[in-house]
Amino acid sequence: MKEDKEFNNILDECLERIVVDGETLEQCLERYPEQAAELKPLLETVLAVKAASAVEPRPEFKARARYQFRSALGEKAAPKHRPFFGWLPRWATALAIVLVVLLAGGGTVAAASNSMPDSILYPVKLATENVRLAFTTSQLGKARLCSGFADERVAEIIYMAEKGDAEGVEATTERLDDRLETLAVLVSELEADEKTDADTMLTVPSAGEEAAVPPAEPPESPVAVEEGGWGENGQPQNRAGFMVTVAGAASDNPAVLRAMLEEVPESVKAALLEAIAVLEDGYENVLEALE
Amino acid sequence: MQGEESLVQRAQQNDQEAFAQLYEEHFDKIYRYLALRIGNEMEAEDMTQQVFLNALRSISSFRWKGVPFSAWLFRIAHNQAVDHLRKKKKRASVPLDESLVSSGDSPHSTTERKIDIEQLLAATRRLTEAQREVISLRFSSELSIAQVARVMGKSQGAVKALQHSAIVALRRTMLVTEQ
Repeated sequence: MKEDKEFNNILDECLERIVVDGETLEQCLERYPEQAAELKPLLETVLAVKAASAVEPRPEFKARARYQFRSALGEKAAPKHRPFFGWLPRWATALAIVLVVLLAGGGTVAAASNSMPDSILYPVKLATENVRLAFTTSQLGKARLCSGFADERVAEIIYMAEKGDAEGVEATTERLDDRLETLAVLVSELEADEKTDADTMLTVPSAGEEAAVPPAEPPESPVAVEEGGWGENGQPQNRAGFMVTVAGAASDNPAVLRAMLEEVPESVKAALLEAIAVLEDGYENVLEALE
Repeated sequence: MQGEESLVQRAQQNDQEAFAQLYEEHFDKIYRYLALRIGNEMEAEDMTQQVFLNALRSISSFRWKGVPFSAWLFRIAHNQAVDHLRKKKKRASVPLDESLVSSGDSPHSTTERKIDIEQLLAATRRLTEAQREVISLRFSSELSIAQVARVMGKSQGAVKALQHSAIVALRRTMLVTEQ
């Protein structure tokens, strides 16, 4: 074992000398006469491997890739169109939404919850989601919300694709990607048997619901947890139950978008394919993190 | 290293030229790594582009802490390659593309090199995933043992052992092919 380790070190030192410092094979072997017989064929193999693997990217590919990268760089550096509420810092946006909930009786938020990316209320919907996440204390609760928000993004992509709005699909796909990335991080931090604390969440209405003020008192009894990780409200109450939910979404959501490919205008297809790829990769990461 | 650190900091502050410089410095190495790892030119090209777009998107999350930028970049490429190979596992292997050859070579040396690449790819398919990873990073992209260890999340000792076993296995396979 010790000899192996020593030989590995000698081999690596020779490789560094030959590959990095430009020493010849013979020079290197002279340094280690005792190991020369064993080293020689290995170093020859490495030299052959190095020569063979010195492939260069095609010039036309390099030019195309460089152009596309420069475009992406330019887009990133360009000042983004600030959405409604965009001038506010995040905490202020959250506070503004809470005030909207309290002052407008939830009507605005309830209306926004049904809005689509082309609606003036859509930024309220996104900000409301962030408030709900911020006011949810458990990891599983946040993960459940994030998973629901990802489903929302898919519904929005369908809507924008049907309208033939490729840019809208792309923008929503970016938001979807963000939600799935957040979801992967959240589930990677989940405890094996973690339960939700749905009761600690700020109740902000989703579609069709009326706004409610956060409950002052916790419910008298904890939410019942049934076998298989599902609570009475049909929501997954632990990691295992949540995994089933995510696995279902991972299978259904890309399938729904794929089925749309035949129906949408040609101009939207590339954006829709990108959305499908983002969905598949995103869910794969989430499921991996859950495993 | 200090130059790269300041370049990365500027790139993180949306300095386009700084990021473009990092792109130029690392593009060929990332491509070579993916070409050898994946064994298909078109796929390696697509994935190389994606590596840099992902890096652009997430550069704000990069923290220096003594880890070179290249290790972070190769880590992105590594993750993409692992994802790609997992998805492709059950598909039939794609033959080496004709143009996965250095374009500046003379016809004679092109033929020689192409045979070498084909042999090499055939030989690397017999290696384990980890061995193939070491060979790609170490000899195709010319990373040091320390950098390879960081990309793979292994100790330097483990990488040296993998390097040794991979070279021995390659030697054996290539000898059999020659006979």
